[in-house]
Amino acid sequence: MNYVVPVLLIAVLFVGLVRRVNVYDSFVLGAKKSFELSWTIFPYLAAIFIMVNALHASGADVYVTKLLAPPFKLLGIPPEVVQLVLLRPFSGSGSLAILADVYKQYGVDSYVGRCASVIMGSSETVFYVASVYFAGTKVRKTGWAVPIALFCNLLGAVVACLLCRVM
Amino acid sequence: MNIVWTAVTLVALVALTVTQPQSVLTVCLDSCSQAVTTALGLMGVYCLWLGVFEVADRCRLVQGLSRCLGGLNKFLYGNVQKAAEQYISLNFASNLLGVGNAATPSAIAAVRELEHDEKLSRNGAMLFVVNATGVQLVPTTVMGLRAQLGSANPSDILLPNLLATLLTSIVGVALVFCVYGRAK
Repeated sequence: MNYVVPVLLIAVLFVGLVRRVNVYDSFVLGAKKSFELSWTIFPYLAAIFIMVNALHASGADVYVTKLLAPPFKLLGIPPEVVQLVLLRPFSGSGSLAILADVYKQYGVDSYVGRCASVIMGSSETVFYVASVYFAGTKVRKTGWAVPIALFCNLLGAVVACLLCRVM
Repeated sequence: MNIVWTAVTLVALVALTVTQPQSVLTVCLDSCSQAVTTALGLMGVYCLWLGVFEVADRCRLVQGLSRCLGGLNKFLYGNVQKAAEQYISLNFASNLLGVGNAATPSAIAAVRELEHDEKLSRNGAMLFVVNATGVQLVPTTVMGLRAQLGSANPSDILLPNLLATLLTSIVGVALVFCVYGRAK
């Protein structure tokens, strides 16, 4: 896996050379767009971070975790990973920190640790992705897209806990 | 997003004001500074990948990729403009290879080609769901963390992870088909 990106980069440069493309000019032209892109998504990031950090600092997330642990248990999701499942749609770095906590507290290779790994690996930061992707477009009504993605993430968590039991 | 963000932030801020009023401003300011550092960090990442994409595009590599994924694209998105299709292909390839950082700029570019309205289109929803259900084959970050914390076998989650990811992606795509109908 360590070779994917290096090989990719070398291959692109090599083909560029063979096909007599102005590689340098093209790179600079493309790279220039990154400024405008991060400029557009910046305020959306700020909004998301305020929400996530306020939630975390107030301790409201712990309360919600406690509240939702019983129904999640019915779905086969152990209480130890409920916080991860809940925070995952909002924050990538936040859920990664929780994943590390779960590893340290319950062991990397324990059932809970493996559940948490698969939950993390098979899900995405839905709200973060939604705000970044649609930044700089006119889209204000996302309709069913976000609910579908959230449902799939929950389904992934249920399936992850199930699979880790048998595999 | 408007309702979700406002409701959740309101509840969180009220809870924070009740428990520790002195930290409200700190938390909000820290979040904004975090957004600045993250945006700058992302700018570096996007700079690299957008540059490489441009080179790949000039080398007609992206067209080739687009042709390889033609069948899948046709099934998921129907007939889309060429520019959007190329970005969609780039996005899919980046996800598959686990270069998550490269997936974001290509997805944003595709969304900009696809969306011209206030209401999200079917294809925009499809692209979003494909990305938000994580089509990544190898969870490199998770495996890295496992190895770092002394797992006996960091990659033993590969198979369950692959199955879970495939299932969620298939269900997600199926739901988009149910809600929005077939691609035109």
